[in-house]
Amino acid sequence: MTQATTTRKESDRLASKGWLKSLLARPEIGPIGVMLLLFGMLGYFSIPAGEFSLNPFAGEGFNALGIRNNLRVIAQLGIIALGAGLLIIAGEFDLSIGSMIGFAGACMAMVLRWGFAIVIPYISFEGGMHVEFFTLIYIDNISPIGAIMITMCFTLFFGWLQGYIVVRSGLPSFIVTLGGLFFLRGLTEVSLRAFNHRPDQTKGATTVTELPDIKNIIDVPGHGEMERSAAKALPDADLLAILKDVPADTVASLTERLTYTAQRVADAKTQIMAAKGVKPLERALENAIESGNTVMAETIRNKIDTFVVTPTVPKEVTDIDVARAYIDTLGSARPIADFFGGDILQPIFDFLYFPVDWNTNNFGNQFAPGLYSCVMIWVLLAILCYVVLSRTQAGNWIYSTGGNLQAAKANGVPTDRVKISLFVFSAFCATIFATCQVFEVNTADAAKGNLKELEAIAAAVIGGIVMTGGFGTVVGIIVGAFIFGLAKEAFFYIPGIDGSFYRVFLGLVIIASALLNENIRKRIMGTL
Amino acid sequence: MAGNATEPLIETRGLVKRFGSFTALNGVDLQVFPGEVHALLGDNGAGKSTLIKILSGVFKPTDGEIIVEGRTVSFSSPRDATGAGIGTVYQDLALNALTSVTRNFFLGREITHFPGPFGLLKMGEMDRIATEEMAKIGINVADPNQPVGTMSGGQRQTLAIARAIYFGAKVLILDEPTSALGQKQQMEVLKTIRKVQKFGDIAIILITHNEIHARLIADRFTFLSLGEVIGRGTSKDLEGDDIKRLMAGGAEIGDLAKELAV
Ligand SMILES: Nc1ncnc2c1ncn2[C@@H]1O[C@H](COP(=O)(O)OP(=O)(O)O)[C@@H](O)[C@H]1O
Ligand SMILES: [Mg+2]
Repeated sequence: MTQATTTRKESDRLASKGWLKSLLARPEIGPIGVMLLLFGMLGYFSIPAGEFSLNPFAGEGFNALGIRNNLRVIAQLGIIALGAGLLIIAGEFDLSIGSMIGFAGACMAMVLRWGFAIVIPYISFEGGMHVEFFTLIYIDNISPIGAIMITMCFTLFFGWLQGYIVVRSGLPSFIVTLGGLFFLRGLTEVSLRAFNHRPDQTKGATTVTELPDIKNIIDVPGHGEMERSAAKALPDADLLAILKDVPADTVASLTERLTYTAQRVADAKTQIMAAKGVKPLERALENAIESGNTVMAETIRNKIDTFVVTPTVPKEVTDIDVARAYIDTLGSARPIADFFGGDILQPIFDFLYFPVDWNTNNFGNQFAPGLYSCVMIWVLLAILCYVVLSRTQAGNWIYSTGGNLQAAKANGVPTDRVKISLFVFSAFCATIFATCQVFEVNTADAAKGNLKELEAIAAAVIGGIVMTGGFGTVVGIIVGAFIFGLAKEAFFYIPGIDGSFYRVFLGLVIIASALLNENIRKRIMGTL
Repeated sequence: MAGNATEPLIETRGLVKRFGSFTALNGVDLQVFPGEVHALLGDNGAGKSTLIKILSGVFKPTDGEIIVEGRTVSFSSPRDATGAGIGTVYQDLALNALTSVTRNFFLGREITHFPGPFGLLKMGEMDRIATEEMAKIGINVADPNQPVGTMSGGQRQTLAIARAIYFGAKVLILDEPTSALGQKQQMEVLKTIRKVQKFGDIAIILITHNEIHARLIADRFTFLSLGEVIGRGTSKDLEGDDIKRLMAGGAEIGDLAKELAV
């Protein structure tokens, strides 16, 4: 009898698990592989035909503008996937996310455009029975933060209500939020049509347009607040007057930059013209060689060698140009609108244009001004979610609520509160998504956010979230959003195939991920 | 150790529980002393689970009283019972198999750097305590971060017991802790119970169907049948066939072999 070995058996077993096996048991490992694959595909296939490069940043997929646009799509999805993912970990679904985005955007845009009123309808008998409205409160000229707060009141309440119905009734959240999906979309359309009945609106339209470009409202010295584009279109005399008060070193650096741009644009133009001139000659040379006309070939070759285009003369940098460039550097007078709808990392992108010369388009101009602000918001939200889920008491409650509801309850976890909070958080994420959109494009549309709830759930599943709850990580949700965003772009660039194949691909990835997740879950549960 | 203490740690007097017109318990008296394992025995449907659910605050008794350390108590939720020092380890153990040992050990009572649900977890301290507490009753966990799902049934029982004790259980209620386990793991759990028994200050109520286990470890027995106590005694009082007979509800068990030989 060797009792020592038998008592130690279980622990010994576990310790023998190698690092490779424990790495492979991480839920994020599969998705990260797919993400890297797509990253490589997008980098490789977006390089123009005929050029060869192993640098994935050489093509359109990851040039400055490609990065800006791709990251925007990924971040937008990523924001709502965080809300959807955390809720799924707690064992519930939210199908109302897409409609919530449409509702939040419309609400915010309407408040920004027409103000906010609380009206009480009542039946009046004067001059025949009809409904009248008594306006209790009317606030006009609502600031961005005000509009966001008002919208949050509605959307967070609605998120709370859905959660409350789910935990109180015990109905599947699938059904309750499916109701929310129809209810909110319908409510959004109805409200927009009602507003657009006014004589100055397009009748029956379910959009809000003609919002000012709020994030680009700036405080112009001597002129007060105005939109940036209007400021740049001021009469020359005004622009020069503005420039007079600008410190000399600022003027110097702006001038240096503008001079660089002028030179760079001229160079690009020269290059393009040279290419245009040489190309027919090269074609002729090919023909000549093919037909065996060596004399002709020699002549053409000489011509190519001696081919010169007169270099384009760079545009003169005037004080007006400097003044306009200065206006471009002025910070927004509406920081909240700029926070959600503006750009970030401009200094880095400026630096990458001048002097690095990577963020430069074919015509010599700066390519991308920066990244969309929603990327930063996504990063902030993701860090918050990561800390909460894996490092706090609330995180442990979320996992246990989804993993074993009865166990959580028996240990005193307020599971109802956990679930309701996450329904509210999901609505919060949808509202943030809508806020970014409204301040980016200055319009709202009742159709916004359509099918986003399914994309968010798909991203969460791809990222290793188990649909039955209790399992998954924030890193996984982030990776899922990357996969979703990258797939669309990558397939677009693959030569000779229909871009819609990305959906076929994603469909397969979703099923494969779900199978993998289930397998991992069973292995951890000890049932496999 | 039996009979060391003069005063029961927990006691019920005339406990009655009716579900509508159905009487699940009909005046149950029970006395459990510190440092003792008190086996609660009886056939299926006898009312054992109902009794412990009352003790752990899940049900309210229709009549009768519960006395803990000399004071009459009334529980309106499992929380109250836990607060009064009654720790119940259910058959399903109330564990989340998908998360780690530590996270389960502290589930609902996490140690954080600052109060509130968003307080950061003191993971290191929690890992250490979980490991230590489980070692105290005989299980060495290799890694406190291993998911509970990867642990054996016996280890899970130990985790649930260690957790209840650490969070102040003076009365430990174990509902059929050995029933779903293999032979070896059953022994593991019994060893754990023995360790707790030796602490001397914890009263253990053990529900089991296994006569051998009861005989091995229990100091005192109470037999339930159809909602009533049909017998009780210390391990010395009862001998051989008494236990077998009382467990079957008091009916005389004829020679099993004879009965089977048709
Ligand atoms: N919630 C309930 N509602 C109605 N009857 C119940 C309920 N719980 C238990 N019973 C009944 O009470 C009796 C005793 O059950 P229980 O305490 O589970 O027995 P045991 O655990 O000894 O097998 C059984 O006949 C059972 O059907
Ligand atoms: Mg039972």
